[in-house]
Amino acid sequence: MVWQITKQILIFCLILIGFILLLLLPREREIEMLGPMQFEADYPFTLELYQESIQDFVSYVKVEKGFGETTGGNSIWSESQRFLNRSLKIIIPAFILSMVVGILIGMLQIHWRNRKKGKVIAFFSWLFAAIPDFFLFISIQYLLIVLMRNGLPQFSIFGDEHWYNFIIPLVALMIFPIAHLVKFTVVSMENEMGQDYVRTAFSKGMTRLEAIKHMFWNSFGPLMNQSQMVMLYILSSLPIIEKVSNYNGAGYQLLESILANEEMRALALMIPFLFIMFIVVLTTQVLKHQFVPKDVTAK
Amino acid sequence: MKIIKILQNHGLLILGLVLLAFLLFVTFIGPYLPIIDDSLEETVFIRDEEGTPIPPPFEPNTQDYILGSDHEGRDLLSLIVMGAKETLFIIVAITIIRYVMAIPLGYLAHKRFLGTHHILKWLNGFLSYVPTIIMVALLATLPPILFSDYRIYALVFLIAFVEVGRAGESIKVDLDEAASQEFIESGVVAGAKPFRIFRKYLWPFIYGKLIVYAITDIGKVMFLIGQLAFVGIFISQALIQVDAGVFEIRNDSISWPMLFLDAFRDLRMSIWIPFWSAFAMAFTILTFNILSQGVQNIFKRKDSHI
Repeated sequence: MVWQITKQILIFCLILIGFILLLLLPREREIEMLGPMQFEADYPFTLELYQESIQDFVSYVKVEKGFGETTGGNSIWSESQRFLNRSLKIIIPAFILSMVVGILIGMLQIHWRNRKKGKVIAFFSWLFAAIPDFFLFISIQYLLIVLMRNGLPQFSIFGDEHWYNFIIPLVALMIFPIAHLVKFTVVSMENEMGQDYVRTAFSKGMTRLEAIKHMFWNSFGPLMNQSQMVMLYILSSLPIIEKVSNYNGAGYQLLESILANEEMRALALMIPFLFIMFIVVLTTQVLKHQFVPKDVTAK
Repeated sequence: MKIIKILQNHGLLILGLVLLAFLLFVTFIGPYLPIIDDSLEETVFIRDEEGTPIPPPFEPNTQDYILGSDHEGRDLLSLIVMGAKETLFIIVAITIIRYVMAIPLGYLAHKRFLGTHHILKWLNGFLSYVPTIIMVALLATLPPILFSDYRIYALVFLIAFVEVGRAGESIKVDLDEAASQEFIESGVVAGAKPFRIFRKYLWPFIYGKLIVYAITDIGKVMFLIGQLAFVGIFISQALIQVDAGVFEIRNDSISWPMLFLDAFRDLRMSIWIPFWSAFAMAFTILTFNILSQGVQNIFKRKDSHI
């Protein structure tokens, strides 16, 4: 267990370094004047420049003892925390809700798999796993706009000023992870269905629900492995959803700072995201260690 | 009776094929249909009943604009139909390039050739921490790619490459699993060379999965390209010098992501433009997902006690 955690910490550090190295690839532009009204844009891309930019970065961090300040004079770190707090309001509920709801619906589908209800769930989980979240989000907005024109009370569907602004992005973000987990739960439960212990459980007179409970704990490990994927998905889509909903959070700011070549800001915004991923990986490991029946872990 | 049986067993596959047929019909025959304006004529204004001129973008259902128009007054339906070919071509090309790289990599990793399996593991591990879209945004804005004359090819290759680790890793896992079966040993005992082992003993077990992965990936690539368009990264655009020392990125493509160019403003002013272009993408993604699920069901045999 201790070795597992150390290994994860090492991986996290290596990924952080890898990310910083990617971020520091030289991006400067030099415009040369060849003659009157004749310019040439040049983008030198050499190893020396790369080394230089890494050295600059190291000395910058040393001098500023942190991320330094924005051009406006605010500390980059505290600014990024403000954006992050706003985004966490979406990230955390989205993650917990999609894990719980996704697995529950998946188990329901297995329970009802030969009935109409189960088929309906299967159909919807396919459908929603296949619909991109930005389309879903735009559809919700379009629907609300049309409804508001026809008498629905007006409320704000853009921005982040109102307390309820996080709900629509949250819903748009949650749909795909839920659908994915439903599918995954069904697949891993199906893998268990043919196992002998299920037959034994039935032969001992257990009910269907009790057998499903057994199957759940046996597929708990693979299900927990999906938590990283779910979080990754939420974090990947967050910037886009934040942008289209004008919800000014860390995801949107991160992409903007990357596109504007603001390395320090990008890094200050990216580190919390990497850290969230790290926490998820670590929690998963601990949960698996605690709850997975010991003889299945090796599988 | 037999048809009903087939429909029951392969309902998803058939649905997927029908949707694919529709998509291909729209892509290749669509431009010649009478309701499609294949010259994409720009309209400066139209007049309403009272004769007042209205500037574009026109709302859906005004005059001939079934889905509305874009900012230049081009019919949106025609734009989407005309752009289908380019869009599909790009996403299929990316997927093919990805698997052309991933299959050999997966095989080499399976053979543990020169540490390929470590490289794949790291590529994959890195991407399970850093979202793909951020990776692409980081790499696509690098000057050598951003300002290259071959930017389209570079970006296609880049997008294919970022997820090559994931694709290669799953191929490797499948190969490992197939190779751990006992019948492989019979092949080895019979003196089959690695190539023959691959061709006759491993390939029959993994090609089905490969097809499923590739079809799923087409949908994923479409999704990623759509996302990138919201951020302002487009595959087909050109850099031109508009004035002394001023360079501008010019878009002359009509692929679907291009319709997201002003998505941010459009969402407030003329939501039908991003809505219908996102709809076209969603339809494509749905088609390929259903298709891959259908294909997967062909290869799947499961026994059950419950």
